[in-house]
Amino acid sequence: MEAKYSIGNFVIGTILVLFAICTFLPFYYVMMASISEPHSVREGQLLLWPKGFDLEAYKIILENDRFISALVTTVTRTVLGLSINLTLSLMLAYGLSKKYLPGRSFFMIYIIITMLFNGGIIPTYLIVRATGLLDTIWALVIPSAISTFNVILLRSFFESIHESLEEAAKIDGANDIYIFTKIYIPLSMAAVVTIGLFIGVFHWNQFMDAVIYIHSPELQVLQIFLRDMIIQMEMATLLGDVGAMNQRTTGLSVRMAAVFLASLPIIVVYPFIQKYFVKGVMLGSVKG
Amino acid sequence: MNHLATSTPSEMAKPGKVRRFFRNLNKYKYLYLLMLPGIIWYFIYKYLPMYGVIIAFKDFNFRQGIWHSPWVGLKHFEFIFTFPDFYRIVRNTIIINIYELLFAFPAAILLALLLNELKSAVFKRSIQTVVYFPHFLSWVIFGGIIIQLLSPGDGLVNQIRQLFGLEPIHFMVESDYFRGIVISSLILKESGWAAIIYLAALSGIDPEQYEAAIIDGASRLQKLFYITLPGIRNTIIIMLILKIGQMLDYGFEQIYVLYNPAVYDVGDILPTYIYRIGLLDAKFSMTAAIGLFQSAIGFFLIWGANRVARRFGDVTIW
Repeated sequence: MEAKYSIGNFVIGTILVLFAICTFLPFYYVMMASISEPHSVREGQLLLWPKGFDLEAYKIILENDRFISALVTTVTRTVLGLSINLTLSLMLAYGLSKKYLPGRSFFMIYIIITMLFNGGIIPTYLIVRATGLLDTIWALVIPSAISTFNVILLRSFFESIHESLEEAAKIDGANDIYIFTKIYIPLSMAAVVTIGLFIGVFHWNQFMDAVIYIHSPELQVLQIFLRDMIIQMEMATLLGDVGAMNQRTTGLSVRMAAVFLASLPIIVVYPFIQKYFVKGVMLGSVKG
Repeated sequence: MNHLATSTPSEMAKPGKVRRFFRNLNKYKYLYLLMLPGIIWYFIYKYLPMYGVIIAFKDFNFRQGIWHSPWVGLKHFEFIFTFPDFYRIVRNTIIINIYELLFAFPAAILLALLLNELKSAVFKRSIQTVVYFPHFLSWVIFGGIIIQLLSPGDGLVNQIRQLFGLEPIHFMVESDYFRGIVISSLILKESGWAAIIYLAALSGIDPEQYEAAIIDGASRLQKLFYITLPGIRNTIIIMLILKIGQMLDYGFEQIYVLYNPAVYDVGDILPTYIYRIGLLDAKFSMTAAIGLFQSAIGFFLIWGANRVARRFGDVTIW
């Protein structure tokens, strides 16, 4: 047997710890900066630990109207997106999971083709525009309403449920919708929750669609708010915009507090996601 | 029953088929009804845009719409192929992808191999928990933090440089650094997540192989080269084929967050260019042509990679 404490193991352990630190450091920096006293951060201090302890930054950001409005939009799109996405995906996946259903393989090909080919940014934009979604909350929900990958995952899950349950319910006179809602969905709660978490995180983080489809400021999502706040200010400094430069020095801890608040829901659901995602990724790699 | 129906004379078969179609439709009406919204959604938001690609061969304008805008044949393709910007954008996209292939792709494999060597389950889990996490943060957040860390004023990296008496560097506006920053931030954010698929493959290797190798006195490196790497070879090849199919594509969100006009010369890629020129400058047809070019090349790349994989080995993606 190999020694548990060999030099090799020590080197491997050290490399991994260093890599983990590098991955985590950026986020750690955010937390430290956000709880520091706003004025001490301004002087450009090294932030490996907080300078003082002050929640003033959180107070400032939570009183910012644009932050609140962006937060409301993001929460709305996440809730709407999650319910619509899950409902449509589950309904479609249920039909596709029935091996006896005529036309099943046709519809499978019909959805899988869209994984290989797509119209691209511009034609999709034109269709979203033509269907009247532009500059409404629905532009953030409808164009991404179904993920083919999730449908295939859910279909595999439904297929793994034994048919005898369905047959027994049919003998008792239940119709397909009853069987779907009262038998299959309750039995699939683990899969539904997992996929729901992924959809929720997707909606929370997504901003490309908001960049492309949303122009009115009152419908901007949280990610766009953050981008404007952090990145554009930083870029203004870099490109030598002195006015913006003076403005930005007032708010490093405020900006970092906004970043932390925007990541908070992800931090909360992360342990639940982690419990399931290895399974999900593996299932996808086998079936996809 | 079906057998009987199909064996009837041919003049009977047609009405029988139609009747059977309606009988099935009625018999499974609830199942079809459940699928209907999804099927309609795919048609509108997936298939209509595919049809909309024809604007690459038209002079699209809003007044006449996709269908009635005038045909112009290959005008837009002729234009883009004589357009210097186009070659710059394609080159940037390919270079960033090659960097990704050279650095980020092996980084995930390396991470999985290192994690696999860990004996302590608790330690392994802790590292995994940390390195998977950034995948779930958005690029605005992760990229924003990176920009903040590299900021010339109060960024951590430049503060450390100043401690050593070095001049601060304006990292984000220097073309020389941009691609390096893109790939490093990609490695930090996504390697953990990308390693999962290799870890799954590693867990599928029969432990008896290792036990036998230990009895034979194999060293750690010998086990790596004779058992572990052959064991995940197929997974690596599949991931490589998929990656090659995306050589003309790259994450819009990452570049959109990190780039700025000062680094357009090295950082502007096909998706960001299509967005800026197509939507902001309203050159719909020309950028649709670029998009079509991109998808066509992507399709041939993945098809070619798959053929090569089939010739030299036994794994393919179809």
